[in-house]
Amino acid sequence: MAQFTDEELKEKVHDGFIVEYPEEMTEGYKKALIVQLLVQADTELISAPAYFGAARDAPSTNTMVSATAIIQDELAHANIAYRLLEDLGMEKEHLLYGRQPHEFKHPYGFDQPLENWAELVVANGFFDRAGITLLGDVYKNTSYGPLKRALVKVDQEETFHLRHGEMWMKRLCAAGGEAKEKVQSAVDWMFPMAIEWFGLPDDRKRHSGQLEYKLKGLTNDQLRQTWMDATVPLCERLGLDAPAHYDEEREEYVLDFPFPCQYDPDEKRWLFDEGQISWDDVFARWKARGPMNKSYVETLQEGRAFRDLLVAA
Amino acid sequence: MIEPIYEVFARKTREEPLHHIGYLNAPDDELARVYAWKTYDEQNWFEMNIVRRDALLSVTHHDRPRVAPRRGEAEDRLIRQTGTGSYGGSDVTDGGAE
Repeated sequence: MAQFTDEELKEKVHDGFIVEYPEEMTEGYKKALIVQLLVQADTELISAPAYFGAARDAPSTNTMVSATAIIQDELAHANIAYRLLEDLGMEKEHLLYGRQPHEFKHPYGFDQPLENWAELVVANGFFDRAGITLLGDVYKNTSYGPLKRALVKVDQEETFHLRHGEMWMKRLCAAGGEAKEKVQSAVDWMFPMAIEWFGLPDDRKRHSGQLEYKLKGLTNDQLRQTWMDATVPLCERLGLDAPAHYDEEREEYVLDFPFPCQYDPDEKRWLFDEGQISWDDVFARWKARGPMNKSYVETLQEGRAFRDLLVAA
Repeated sequence: MIEPIYEVFARKTREEPLHHIGYLNAPDDELARVYAWKTYDEQNWFEMNIVRRDALLSVTHHDRPRVAPRRGEAEDRLIRQTGTGSYGGSDVTDGGAE
């Protein structure tokens, strides 16, 4: 069985050891890696139907091509992560077609409808930025060799998605009027959404193993700061209101809204007035899933009908 | 339906060596070629090759499986647990399992 004890493995990976083979993993390591890869794969996968809904709103053929190219990339990234899970004993087939919508592990933010072009480009600007922030850290720090190598491609392509998002946010803001208002409305619900999905603050963090096993390098709060360090100045440059500012004294970004906070998915509005809520309330909302959870997953599972024909043949 | 795994190798220029850049599943060689070209399109490759994983003969690691045994109950529970994750990748709301 396992070559190392949990303690030995934790020490080894912090000394630079790269895990390549299943027999080098402990049960704890394998479990933490599976959860990380499931969240990563499901997030890439569900971004496809989410982006597709809004890509239909593309303002030109060229733009439609870029938007669908992004969707193609996301599906390939999902495919790569599910493939890695196969080497850990899963079946891609089962993960894609054998699960209920509520068993998919993408963040609550991707259970929401993206309804127009402005929302798509802010999703590219904010959510893909969150993706790069997280996966860039994983790429730099992960102790799992196969994942590190797979992320080279992912990182190159996510950078393009981000550029697409930021460039279009800039264009719409420069146009002014209703175009800019729509960007601002998207920022209003997506900024706190991105902040929330970096997860529990460090002082509340439950023991997860991801840092101990060196599956990532930065803590949730550090990742949140990295994301704001790019996103808040972007909003300032574009004349958009973002609910956070840099605090000179504390030398970090500080949120201008109660966090965590309740969200009304029907109104697409954060209930700042109702003040801070508990993380248990957040988990309850996540667990209930957002309005698009079922339809996004079902869209992706439609292909199953033809797969069944192939298997039966 | 378990499709075979193909390993993908490519290089950007004439002088550089082939690199392992990824992998894919495909039911046959022809579709594998298409999937490789369409999936790994992040570079304008000078050369790309694919080979079925089971055709790779290991010289140094022949006794070390690359693949873990098929999932058991513990893995099933992870897959089945309800929950959206945080992008931090670790806070899956698992309804108190664990």
